[in-house]
Amino acid sequence: MAATGDILSMNNLETKKPVVSINDLQVKFKSDGETVIAVNKISFNVHAGETVCLVGESGSGKSVTSLSLMRLVEFGGGEITNGSLVLERNNKQVKNLVEADASTMRSIRGNEVGMIFQEPMTSLNPVFTIERQLTDGLRLHTNLSGGETREKALQLLKEVRIPDPEKRLRQYPHELSGGMRQRVVIAMAMACRPRLLIADEPTTALDVTIQAEILALINRLKHETGMAVLFITHDMAVVAQMADRVVVMYRGDMIEEAPVEKIFSEPKEDYTKALLAAVPQLGEMAGTSEPRPLDIPGHETLQKNQTKNLTARQETVLEVQNLITRFPVYGGVFRRKVANVHAVENVSFSIKKGETMALVGESGCGKSTCGRSILRLVEPVSGQILLNNQNILALNSHELRKTRRDMQMIFQDPFASLNPYMTLRDQIAEPLKNFGLVSKSEIEDIICDMLRKVELPLGFLKRFPHELSGGQRQRVAIARAIVVNPSLVVADEAVSALDVSVQAQVLNLMMALQDQLGLSYLFISHDMAVVERVSHKVGVMYLGRLVEHGSRAQIFENPQHEYTKSLMAAVPIADPKQRNISGDISFKPIPSPVFPVDQVIESPIYKEVETGHWVLTNK
Amino acid sequence: MAYIIHRLFSMAITLFLISIITFTVTNILPGDVAMMIMGTQSNPEALANLRENLGLNDPLVYQYSKWIIGMLTGDWGNSLLFKMPIGPILLQKMTASGLIVLLSMIIALALAVPLGVWSAVYKNKWQDTVSSSASIVGVSLPDFFWGIMLILLFARALGWLPSSGFVDPGEDFLLALKHAFLPSLALGLGLMAHLTRMTRATMTGILSQEFIRVARAKGLAERVVVWQYGLANAVGPVMTVAGLQMGYLFGSIIVMESLFNYTGMGWLTYQALLNRDIPLIQATVFVIAAVVMLINLIVDLLYPFFDPRIKLK
Repeated sequence: MAATGDILSMNNLETKKPVVSINDLQVKFKSDGETVIAVNKISFNVHAGETVCLVGESGSGKSVTSLSLMRLVEFGGGEITNGSLVLERNNKQVKNLVEADASTMRSIRGNEVGMIFQEPMTSLNPVFTIERQLTDGLRLHTNLSGGETREKALQLLKEVRIPDPEKRLRQYPHELSGGMRQRVVIAMAMACRPRLLIADEPTTALDVTIQAEILALINRLKHETGMAVLFITHDMAVVAQMADRVVVMYRGDMIEEAPVEKIFSEPKEDYTKALLAAVPQLGEMAGTSEPRPLDIPGHETLQKNQTKNLTARQETVLEVQNLITRFPVYGGVFRRKVANVHAVENVSFSIKKGETMALVGESGCGKSTCGRSILRLVEPVSGQILLNNQNILALNSHELRKTRRDMQMIFQDPFASLNPYMTLRDQIAEPLKNFGLVSKSEIEDIICDMLRKVELPLGFLKRFPHELSGGQRQRVAIARAIVVNPSLVVADEAVSALDVSVQAQVLNLMMALQDQLGLSYLFISHDMAVVERVSHKVGVMYLGRLVEHGSRAQIFENPQHEYTKSLMAAVPIADPKQRNISGDISFKPIPSPVFPVDQVIESPIYKEVETGHWVLTNK
Repeated sequence: MAYIIHRLFSMAITLFLISIITFTVTNILPGDVAMMIMGTQSNPEALANLRENLGLNDPLVYQYSKWIIGMLTGDWGNSLLFKMPIGPILLQKMTASGLIVLLSMIIALALAVPLGVWSAVYKNKWQDTVSSSASIVGVSLPDFFWGIMLILLFARALGWLPSSGFVDPGEDFLLALKHAFLPSLALGLGLMAHLTRMTRATMTGILSQEFIRVARAKGLAERVVVWQYGLANAVGPVMTVAGLQMGYLFGSIIVMESLFNYTGMGWLTYQALLNRDIPLIQATVFVIAAVVMLINLIVDLLYPFFDPRIKLK
């Protein structure tokens, strides 16, 4: 169905005028007297009923291009210094938006061109009701009466498949889930039936099942209304699912433009090839037993020594048994405990030396809390944690501090996890000094060795974190973690904030270090494709429980639990010939993990479906 | 409801602690009530008699409980200085000062909010520099400087407003306003500087949020984007800071009321301290603390109306 629609619109491209035509666009930003060219020589068209994906990594200028179309780039200090942005308006007249005055632009924004942004959590005004935010655009652009705008708002909410639309109108944004908020934002953008919808990374901040729902929704609305869609993303898998045509951007330049099949089957430019190679694809590891580094063109591919690993992976490093972590909820006059958030509920697993165990699941499933509980950064309620046969939960604070040397953590946000006032030398030396491990004379040697290990130039020693890129900072965070020679490293979404090419490099680095040093990783991630690439064993978490765990091949090639299957189904496939995201997709919403204090929780019962592959059978 | 009870409960505890501190401190001060009544040259025997009669020889704990029970039941005792019951004095002076405090807060907010928003909108442009420099000047200069300047300008040079005195608003409200206006303006200017900086910081944060961009993308005019979408989010934080500044205001009125010879709470506190009118000092401190706490409680109770995300639990 989707395919025939696409072919029809493709045939019409030559005869029809484009909805919007960008010609030779150049945008400059001025800061501190310096002028930076953000985008240069950008030219492409978007036709009615067509989705053009603008793809590139951070700083490539894709958002600047889309904001220029709305002439919103000026509010951020940008200036369109060259080119034209020609829009075919509702009355079929064409208008160069670069020359449009403020009032013309206001009549176009939200009316003829709608826009969706990345963060559904911050896209809605927290102090206004959904109704007000949905209707104020309608009141502005149409002559509808109060009652009619309300009707229209209801209709819009139904169109984006929000349950209980009447109730939603009276609610405030914080009362809605992330997925529902993004639906509201889409409803707002669709309110006046725009000719062009600009979607700026609309699913980047969402869980994978919700991403699938939102992508399918945008596709459906496009087919129903015949609008043009300009879709901005960094995710090649999303591109494969959404695009008719693709424009690849790199550092403000347009690198390549081609139909989506062509971009994936025969990319012309090196950068496009590198971008595609850096993306791990779900299912591509079928038939292999070991993690495999990603191919990065220009980099030597590191080959893992598989036999060495197999013999090394005998002794158990971490053993977690029946771990339970709950957070109290207080209320009432005397601030008594009225409920518990069941973050981690009876979780058991083990990790061997040199092994990577991945915990996957969607936000709120307890995977991060599980990682933190193991390090006792949050106190578990009960259970047993054995690290090298030492009972972590029995340690007093002094012993715990000493033992933390053996279990280190890498956090998601390298911008926040490094102290901005310390040089790299001091950052890496700190753990050594903290644990009093080595003499002063040895420290310098160790630091230099560490920098080499994480592939940073020695000249960086005197630099501060703000002088580094995101990927470089994450390398420093890794160096800090491994400098004390731990046996376990907990990597909590350690590559989620990075661009795909940088992500690939950091993943390869982590795998190489595992080979060299025999590290064990607890790899916490929401990204199924990354997990498939890097892990030996996988555990799927849902509502605090481990619903399924086993070897990587068992989980990915033979998923048994319903939730694991729905997670897999929601992952967009990075191949335009296999479109799995279309029609009306809706997954079961995740229920609340908050239970009354006296709630009786059943112990989990697992069934071993094959050797080492366990599936939860009760709720 | 549980929240209100919880807050009133913690407010009672705070007031209790304040009452103990004031009571103890005033009792440690040299000179006692009997001495104040009879003068320093009085007969030691008569003095001892009076002490016994007034209960000053009783244990401190007993004296305190007598005093606090009186405060709670409305028997606030007599002022030594004015030779009359404290309750009515405080009521009258509180009204007088309430007028000034309220007026200065209105003046401060009326100037600070637009200036702060303006500053945030034109961040790092000349408009912002002007407004920011003005608030730095305002923060740096003491209130009485503005008091003196205003007297010179409006009372001396222009002769539009009286430079001193107090008129009961019950008798002639307009005249009372005229007398209250200059001290209020002087207080308001100092306060305004704080609030402008606060509004600017809050609005700067809000205007960089995504929902502002979304509002613009809907085609809304800048006027609506800034003054409705933006400002609605700033009301809560600004009101909270305004509430906290109430304590500062009640401190500042001591100087300001003396400067304008405006006989309100500040003037009363000053007189009470100067003349060691211990019962009056105790009652004044107690009442001011209670009023400031009550205002902050009200601000907190109103918060859910400014921000629906806040639930009082």
